[in-house]
Amino acid sequence: MSNSMKYAVALAAAMSLTAVSAEAQSGNINAKATVLAPITIAQGAELDFGNVLPGVNKSVAAASGATAGRFDLTGVTGANVNVSFTLPANLASGANTLPIGSWDGCHNTIANQAGCTGFTPSAGTTSANFVAGALYVYVGGTVSPAGLQPAGLYQANVTLNAAYF
Amino acid sequence: MPRCVTFLLFTACLLARPLAGQTQVSGVRDLSFGIVIAGVPATVAPGDPVKSGQFYLRYVTGGRARVRLTLPATLNRVGGGGTMPISFRNGDAFVLGTAPGSVPSSFNPGGLLNYRFTGSADANIYLGGRVTPAAATASGNYTAPVVLTATFF
Repeated sequence: MSNSMKYAVALAAAMSLTAVSAEAQSGNINAKATVLAPITIAQGAELDFGNVLPGVNKSVAAASGATAGRFDLTGVTGANVNVSFTLPANLASGANTLPIGSWDGCHNTIANQAGCTGFTPSAGTTSANFVAGALYVYVGGTVSPAGLQPAGLYQANVTLNAAYF
Repeated sequence: MPRCVTFLLFTACLLARPLAGQTQVSGVRDLSFGIVIAGVPATVAPGDPVKSGQFYLRYVTGGRARVRLTLPATLNRVGGGGTMPISFRNGDAFVLGTAPGSVPSSFNPGGLLNYRFTGSADANIYLGGRVTPAAATASGNYTAPVVLTATFF
């Protein structure tokens, strides 16, 4: 092998060792998020069963009762919202309890029960939409006092949870 | 210089580089935070099967790649009108080969990753992160590109 050939072979060998890849490739994705203003929830009205008699069930209809409970929600116009409740099993007066036999609900995009969409608060999550940036959720139910139900003022908290989806 | 020497040099150069079509880098899935509430930070874990970002790399079994991610510091509101900080920490990314029994290897997406294709010729890189919208952040869609650049050896 001539000297020039030896030199070329050595050079080629060196290049193969040192000429690391220049093969660089790129790929893209996006990072993305949708920002929404927080949902606000205010107490619009308490659910009030009024006077009840021992042994006589009493109901307040969410869609029509004048004393139905109401939650006033605001959110981003057009956004979807899931609504759920934390509901008491009883109203309480000290150590005495007054069972709530069933729950009744409806929601509307205006502060009016007429034409509201009914649902069952105890059944889980209900979906709605902030069509005009507001949602009004009405709550009713039925209390079932025992025949020997002690007299007193019975009450409990009803909690509404809301989240965009 | 003799013709055979020129050929030898040319061949040596070719052998030192990956062949065209042998390598692949592609974005598979966006890093999606979904709905975030103004004023409430949100995090996506790199292992989130739906929200984490994903890249796909292909080379040759036994080959090596040096991987660098170009990460945004803010997401930009689509249509203008605002930005939202986004950040990444050590462990917000991991690489996982496709061979059976491959074990995920976490790394800092802000640094360099040197990866060897062991047991398979391809791998996926998953990316998480966090956004910290201010309370006054304008509602809307925010986005920014994430670029993965891989150099193959």
